[in-house]
Amino acid sequence: MIQGMLGAFRELDATVDAIEALKKDRIGEITVYTPTPRHELEHAVHPPVSPVRRFTLAGGLFGAIAGYWIAIWCSEYWPLVVGGKAISTWIPYTVFSFELMVLVGGLSTVAGMFICAGIPRLTMTVGYDGRFSHGEYGVWVQCAPEKLKDAEAILRRCGAVEVHGAQ
Amino acid sequence: MATIARPTDEMPRPNIAKAGLQLPAVKDYEQVDREIMATLRPTKGWFAALTVAIVCLMIGGAAWTYQIHEGLGVAGYNPPVMWGVYIVTFVFWIGIGHAGTLISAILYLFRAGFRTTIYRCAEAMTVFAVMTAGLFPILHLGRPWKFFWLIPYPNWRLLWPQFKSPLVWDVFAISTYLTISTTFLFIGLIPDVATLRDAEKNPIKKQIFSVLSFGWRNSEAEWRHFARAYLFLAAFSTPLVLSVHSVVSFDFAMALVPGWHTTIFAPYFVAGAIFSGMGMVFTIIIPIRKFFKLQHYVTLNHLDAGAKLCLFTSMVVGCAYMVEFFIGWYGAVPVEQEYWWNRVFGQWWWAAWIMLTCNMILPLSLFSQSLRRNPTWLFILSLFINLGMWFERFVIIVPGLSHEYEPWQWSTYVPTFVDYSILIGSFGWFFMWFLLFIRQLPVIAISEVKEIVPPRLRRVHPYPPAPEGEFASDTPGAHA
Repeated sequence: MIQGMLGAFRELDATVDAIEALKKDRIGEITVYTPTPRHELEHAVHPPVSPVRRFTLAGGLFGAIAGYWIAIWCSEYWPLVVGGKAISTWIPYTVFSFELMVLVGGLSTVAGMFICAGIPRLTMTVGYDGRFSHGEYGVWVQCAPEKLKDAEAILRRCGAVEVHGAQ
Repeated sequence: MATIARPTDEMPRPNIAKAGLQLPAVKDYEQVDREIMATLRPTKGWFAALTVAIVCLMIGGAAWTYQIHEGLGVAGYNPPVMWGVYIVTFVFWIGIGHAGTLISAILYLFRAGFRTTIYRCAEAMTVFAVMTAGLFPILHLGRPWKFFWLIPYPNWRLLWPQFKSPLVWDVFAISTYLTISTTFLFIGLIPDVATLRDAEKNPIKKQIFSVLSFGWRNSEAEWRHFARAYLFLAAFSTPLVLSVHSVVSFDFAMALVPGWHTTIFAPYFVAGAIFSGMGMVFTIIIPIRKFFKLQHYVTLNHLDAGAKLCLFTSMVVGCAYMVEFFIGWYGAVPVEQEYWWNRVFGQWWWAAWIMLTCNMILPLSLFSQSLRRNPTWLFILSLFINLGMWFERFVIIVPGLSHEYEPWQWSTYVPTFVDYSILIGSFGWFFMWFLLFIRQLPVIAISEVKEIVPPRLRRVHPYPPAPEGEFASDTPGAHA
């Protein structure tokens, strides 16, 4: 069962203070909700680098190879022979390679984002509130039952306008 | 101690658009939500515009039905001029799409702040323009229902397309462009749709927005992966936008037709595409900012910056025109020289001078700062640019085909009512989608605007916002 404490904040710096205090006291796993990405929050959370780039690289390489492969395979399978000219030529086929690199690379980037971010999500997770897409910031800390009171105290001390537990 | 975003050291000046541009009349996140979501309520003017667009579309649809029944002969083709209004309009709409990707992707990579409030409209314009453009090669086919033969798919005839043909390159380039542009638009919309979902009271609409937002919940981790994916999509879109119109230009440059077989075509087409797209951005964004009262989001600084881009691309295009004439003269090929003379002073002089006036001469007015900051003039100029850029494609395609190497190849071309009706229908198709878009989804990116609005802080902000009136508005007091 998930147990934790949610704090809603109106101010950005108060949110950052709360994150830093929760991290300092090792209260639990923190999830931050913000209506717009802010570097201040990113610096406070200090997350690892997004692995989306690996999906991009893999998709781009696959697309580039597939572009050459389709054109060369089709040309060899049904040769259109023009005297003195190669059946498969890499210069015009680079167009296909490039386009498929962009296409597959772009789509795999999106797939990577979906996988890493855990979307599509069929139900709203515990702790989310509609206010966090408008103007308020949310800090959800998932912790052991004995640390709930500490978490609540930190959130209130840092200026949360609303604090409540959830499970 | 919280870290606080540091604004640019030099406070923004009213007449200089720069990356650190702020929106002084937008005070907080709630105001952003309230004012941008207000654009989603339909008005009588919107219904009237949509009706006009649908009527235009029906005119085009009726003309196409007639053409399918009667054959391509009703379309005004006159051998050897077998590329006419349809291919002209195809290139025109593909070009329109390019400014959208420029604004949303290239300016994003360059961190150009003025893109923030106009890129959503520009992106949507790109998608709908490419959707419109994609119809024209199909319209141009004698048997349009066979269009999929250009796609390499396993078939019982064991036939494959000719991969050395620029027409097959086009299929790949444009389908990739449409897919990536649509993806880019849709991915950027996810956080905004989540905002709509959370504000929506109607349960059916709320459910629709929930599905479209994929359960987005604005967590820091989601934003992190989103930002990375958005960056890579922008990085992919940047060379893509350059490649697509280059590939379109190869449709012409790979042929031996006088005036077409030239190496300047790829950069010339790309610059022209961005120029025409900026024209269409102004055509769309200026009425939107007026009717939705969004002048404090799309400020005069934004228009000024866009106008400078427009002026720059106009000069690149003008330079390309001059280089074309120079190559014609310096190349000393009699057929080429006759073609160029015929284009400017002969059979097609009227079309060429419309092009030169609209694309080279009128945009020079943008050297004037007061005209760059005059929305009325920018709107009028944008209509001339749209006209001029359509005629640019006409001047490239028709005079070349109507005056080739041998006298028996000299001909003329007169579009028929079917051509004109389908041209009108294409505008109806484009604006129908665009009008539907602006009433269902935010025309300005809510989450990105929030990024440039100073966040609410508990402590006093060490860098005070710009004083009131720092940015001039063409509707003073409208949003006080």
